[in-house]
Amino acid sequence: MLSKRKFTVSRRDFVAGSTAASVLGFPAILGAQPAAIKVGFIHPVTGFVAYNGQQGRLGAQMAVEDVNKAGGIRSMGGARLEALLGDSQSKVEVGVSEVEKMNEAGVAAYIGCFQSPVGIAASQAAAKYNTPFLIDVGASDLIVNRGLKNVFRLKPGFGVCVDQGISALGAMNNATGGNAKSAVIVHESGEFGTGTARLLAGKLPSIGFEVKEVIKHDNPTRNFDNVALRIRSLAPDVVMMSNYGNEYTLLARTLHQQKVNLAGMYSVLGGGFNYRFVKELPDVAENMMDTNHWFNPKSAKAQALKRRVEAGGALFTFEVYLAYATTMLLADSLQRAGSSAKDKLTEALASSTYDTEILPYGPTKFVNGQNQGSRASVMQARKGDIVVIAPEDVANARPVFPKPKYT
Amino acid sequence: MSRGTLALCAAGLLAAILYPLVVRGLAGAGVGVSANYLINVGMLVFFVAFIGQSWNIAGGFAGQTSFGHVVFFGTGAYCSTILHVTHGWNPWLAWPVATAAGALVGWAIGALAFRAGLKGSYFALITLAFAEVFRILANSVEFTRGGLGMLIKADQRPENFQFRDPMWIYYLALALCVVSLAIAWQLTRGRFGARLVAIRENEDAARALGIDVYTEKVKVLALSGAMCAAGGTFYAQKYLYIDPSIAFGVDKSVEMLLVSMVGGAGTVFGPLVGSLVLTAINEGTRSLASVVPALKNVQPLSLIVYGAMLILIVARLPDGLMGLFGRRKSGKRHDA
Repeated sequence: MLSKRKFTVSRRDFVAGSTAASVLGFPAILGAQPAAIKVGFIHPVTGFVAYNGQQGRLGAQMAVEDVNKAGGIRSMGGARLEALLGDSQSKVEVGVSEVEKMNEAGVAAYIGCFQSPVGIAASQAAAKYNTPFLIDVGASDLIVNRGLKNVFRLKPGFGVCVDQGISALGAMNNATGGNAKSAVIVHESGEFGTGTARLLAGKLPSIGFEVKEVIKHDNPTRNFDNVALRIRSLAPDVVMMSNYGNEYTLLARTLHQQKVNLAGMYSVLGGGFNYRFVKELPDVAENMMDTNHWFNPKSAKAQALKRRVEAGGALFTFEVYLAYATTMLLADSLQRAGSSAKDKLTEALASSTYDTEILPYGPTKFVNGQNQGSRASVMQARKGDIVVIAPEDVANARPVFPKPKYT
Repeated sequence: MSRGTLALCAAGLLAAILYPLVVRGLAGAGVGVSANYLINVGMLVFFVAFIGQSWNIAGGFAGQTSFGHVVFFGTGAYCSTILHVTHGWNPWLAWPVATAAGALVGWAIGALAFRAGLKGSYFALITLAFAEVFRILANSVEFTRGGLGMLIKADQRPENFQFRDPMWIYYLALALCVVSLAIAWQLTRGRFGARLVAIRENEDAARALGIDVYTEKVKVLALSGAMCAAGGTFYAQKYLYIDPSIAFGVDKSVEMLLVSMVGGAGTVFGPLVGSLVLTAINEGTRSLASVVPALKNVQPLSLIVYGAMLILIVARLPDGLMGLFGRRKSGKRHDA
């Protein structure tokens, strides 16, 4: 019979044994499995822009999965990325609260936040800890104009998008005889819509357009009948929209239902111009144009990612590939920094020349946190699909402008 | 206030003062708590309790239910931010001016509404209308930068009303909350408070007793407006960015009303209890995802749980959580 005593491990034995094990055995194991690098993703997955937030989260998670599948961050011994998922609930306070929580969890960097006000406050909170904050979506130029060293934005802000949109509209109009001469701007009343609309109103005269009226609306707005009637009475050649998804779709549908004849509907950062819109409402969307973030249709990587996203039952919206590309930029910077130390990572981001490939940007170059190579594309809806009509090097179709009139 | 209640208050205050030090100590000892996050949550509890108390003083004590209290919040936020950003004022100096502006707006809305004899749901709706008007104005005029909003430059020095260490903004929120509790407590003791309760219970009877109902109502709305505006400045300095939707959005009005209703409208501690419970539920349910891996992508669940608990509280406790204490007390009396 075995006595109990035989299996008793004294405290001294335990300490000696565990010390020996840690000295001899564990380093090898630990060396093979470096600590995961935590990345905080803050998106509005609930609230009035929940769909956009969920799409952003999807892109981020796919990127994390791809980095880990490819062996993690090799310069850090194959360290895996670990996504900490936060919900800003479309509220500034909650976004900041998530920053605090994730900071304590030891994140190396944050990525978010879709809404500019949340991004402004959250990145400000991250600045206290010198933690890099990468903006995946957030159009306001205030985000990168504050002199914060920790903020980086891969995508263009609304200033660049407006410049490109205006120049493309001017070129398109000139190519077809310059018949369009007036515009009405409809925008959401928040920071993003107002900022974009102001820039548009200021720059449209430079391409020979008279701005007949600037109409703002609240979020959410559930009826655009009066706005459509006002547009009909003003009889502009072009309606320019800058708003979030639901309002974008509703306004487009109302103008279509009321058969308001226009040479074109041309949005800059039209939140609703995506595959969902053109597939669900192909008649409404037909020939509508949008200057927005878009993937490079000539990139095999982008097309493969698109197929993967669609195979999962989701739509390949800009939130998905911007979050994906931003996460890949972070992974590349971690790889080059060889460390998740905040100062080294910030330095690596600031000096990044990473080419996302899936976006038509070329090598990254940050000046004051804004990627100088970023640019928007001009798209047009055609028979339930989306084609790129500008810039020339990534375009895969010619524009239809002016669009056919309602009979 | 009984000796027991006083002792409880002192203990609560001491606990609140020690809270940041304790959570930091625990974090330092490797207990695995997120110190700054918990301090931030504590700050939110006291801040929401403070603005909730501003609603409670007018809506709870005086019975002047408002749906648009955010009008004062936004006034304070914009006033101090404009003075600071556009005119270069120190935000500490801008704070009392913003508070006075809130009082002025409260006085003006009160004077207009009460002179017109609006009460009950009509008064509630007119405050909502004023909040909307202010939001649209802030969206339209140039000096607020319209929908672009106003950004306060980050310069984290205490003399600039910005704190690098979240502990100090926590203590500031705690101080505001204590001041608001003191004001509410004074209302339960003083003549002004008694007159307000008389107005709440029966305006005609109060008038028959010789109370100048109009003046008292205007005074309480000015007081409430001042407090709420002070909260607006605090918010602007904490988050360093405001726009019309943030400053005058209806969700802030709902938040103030909700914490008072859940905690117990017309009670001294109602807004604090309401804020504590609602913030705990909100943060707790939001953290579910990190605790339960299966819920990692089920974020709306937190809102569902939050909503369900809110329904339960409102349905089962119509007098708020403070009413529960009252019931237990009265139950004891009956038993005796």
